[in-house]
Amino acid sequence: MTPPTALIADDEPLLRERLCTLLQRCWPELAVVAQARNGREAVELFDQHAPQVVFLDVHMPGLNGIEAARSLARRAQLVFVTAFEQYAVQAFEQGAIDYLVKPIDEQRLADTVQRLQQQLARPVAAVPDALEAVLDGLSAELKRRAGAPAGHLQWIKASVGQSVRLIPVEQIAYLRADEKYTLVVWEGGEALIRKTIRELADELDPSRFVQTHRSVIVNLHQVQQVTRGANETAEVQLKGRRELLPVSRSYLHLFRQM
Amino acid sequence: MAPARRRRYRGGMSATLDSAAPPERGFDRFVAALSLRSVLLAMVLASLAAVLLNPIFVTPFPVLLGRMLVIALLLLLVFTAAGFWSVGWLPRWLVQVLAVVLTAPLATYLVYLPAVQGQVFEVLRHEGRLSGFVLITGTVLVVAPLLALGALYRERDAQARSQALGFALERSQLERQALDARLKLLHAQIEPHFLFNTLANVQALVESGSPQASAVLKSLIAYLRAAMPRLADERATLGDELGLVRAYLELMQMRMPDRLQYAIAVPDDLLGLRFPGTALLTLVENAVRHGIDPTEQGGRIEVSAQRAADGTLMLRVADTGAGLRESASPGTGLANLRERLAMFYGAAARLEIAENPPRGVVATLLCPDASAP
Repeated sequence: MTPPTALIADDEPLLRERLCTLLQRCWPELAVVAQARNGREAVELFDQHAPQVVFLDVHMPGLNGIEAARSLARRAQLVFVTAFEQYAVQAFEQGAIDYLVKPIDEQRLADTVQRLQQQLARPVAAVPDALEAVLDGLSAELKRRAGAPAGHLQWIKASVGQSVRLIPVEQIAYLRADEKYTLVVWEGGEALIRKTIRELADELDPSRFVQTHRSVIVNLHQVQQVTRGANETAEVQLKGRRELLPVSRSYLHLFRQM
Repeated sequence: MAPARRRRYRGGMSATLDSAAPPERGFDRFVAALSLRSVLLAMVLASLAAVLLNPIFVTPFPVLLGRMLVIALLLLLVFTAAGFWSVGWLPRWLVQVLAVVLTAPLATYLVYLPAVQGQVFEVLRHEGRLSGFVLITGTVLVVAPLLALGALYRERDAQARSQALGFALERSQLERQALDARLKLLHAQIEPHFLFNTLANVQALVESGSPQASAVLKSLIAYLRAAMPRLADERATLGDELGLVRAYLELMQMRMPDRLQYAIAVPDDLLGLRFPGTALLTLVENAVRHGIDPTEQGGRIEVSAQRAADGTLMLRVADTGAGLRESASPGTGLANLRERLAMFYGAAARLEIAENPPRGVVATLLCPDASAP
């Protein structure tokens, strides 16, 4: 009978080494055939070596452990390793999926090894039915926690002198169309960017930024006062600024209740 | 900014047009400004004037009283209306007082017209009426401007009081913000994920009998001591902060030796400067978390400081990591940092984030001269 094989994936080399050492003690027959530094390498090395057991760190650069697991599921026994991802631990518990908590406790690892040995001894490896659903859920959760695109612009890139500045949108007072460009005016100065007012109106958070005129977008949090003018128009003044920005008739309803 | 000035001028013009041909809303505001109080006051004063003037007038008292009341109400209307008339270069109070002074003789003349059946010059020919006209005009001219000035003074007083209230409110808001920032600081800044991962590494070193273990434990202790929740240490220096930054980077390099390189270059003479604790660490942690950690190949972090000729302290944290996407969530760390900088240095402190070509992000902290004790 060929010895069982395993793959270890973790971006921290000391932790890979330690898991190797511990496994040698609790499961001497197990051969660790490969070590991966990230999810992408884990998938590559898995295809190369086809190990029966895969230890996957949840938090890894590039492709994380959960994403890697989605492409390995049902082809190997998976054990997740996590430092303090409470939400992941909860999901593993509910899905009856094996996991280890860092720093790994040797006794706990011994239990896991025992379970793995039983499962490998059966003719058909039993994979928890919930596995894929749990992984899908966790993958979405991880993306959310990683600050995945909220959909709206949070920064605006603008050339200022020699550098490309990243301006937090909450510091922006207003944006005004300037021929093919748009003038961004914020706490720290002003700069021209290539995006058009129309594009910006679509990308900025509408609960904070409103278009008040064909050529103007205003940060609502910085509005000082709105003065009604003749002919169903108005003008907006922003906190700490002298310039008045136009509000045209079709956008006046935005300030009706203010 | 010429365009801005032009815009402002146009703004003034449109306001003038507004009151010259007042739409419904302008009229509403006008009526609202005519408070019952001011109408009553005008009537009482007019009655008083009528009583005082009565002995020298041959006109029956009710007629005199009626005339005075009409004049007083006319003046009040003019005074209020003038308040809405903004003539860019004339102060509003002057417009209002001038309007009252000019209207006084006109109004008096107007109340005499019914007595002479609309014969315009009849008033001037009759000696009694003429002296009456002069007397009333004189009285009104003395009393009305004084009254107008009094009203304006009261108005300004009220404005000053509301402004003072506004300032007090603003101050209490600032105080609350400062308190919030301190409370945030009190909440543990040590992420459990960081702590347990680091401990797992230390354990690995200890178990394998690595000589590195002791040095790493020393870094962890230094980091934990500095990052423990506590109130901002008033005596913290840039040197203390760099010790914390170095401890953090050493720990992270132990954890990802193949992915993280770093360098710290700060002249010795800056180490004694007072510095808000953990401000620089926040930037370095961000560089690791958002720059180095998400990339497979990792990168380099450079921390440097220099002092400009005007005493401004310039701190730079540059990484060659993943960079920032425009939709990347800014997180609370930077917002807290901005708040704390504002508290420590005032409005002059700046935090600038920029791209670090060809890859990564550079954060620059510009702090005004804080060398004063």
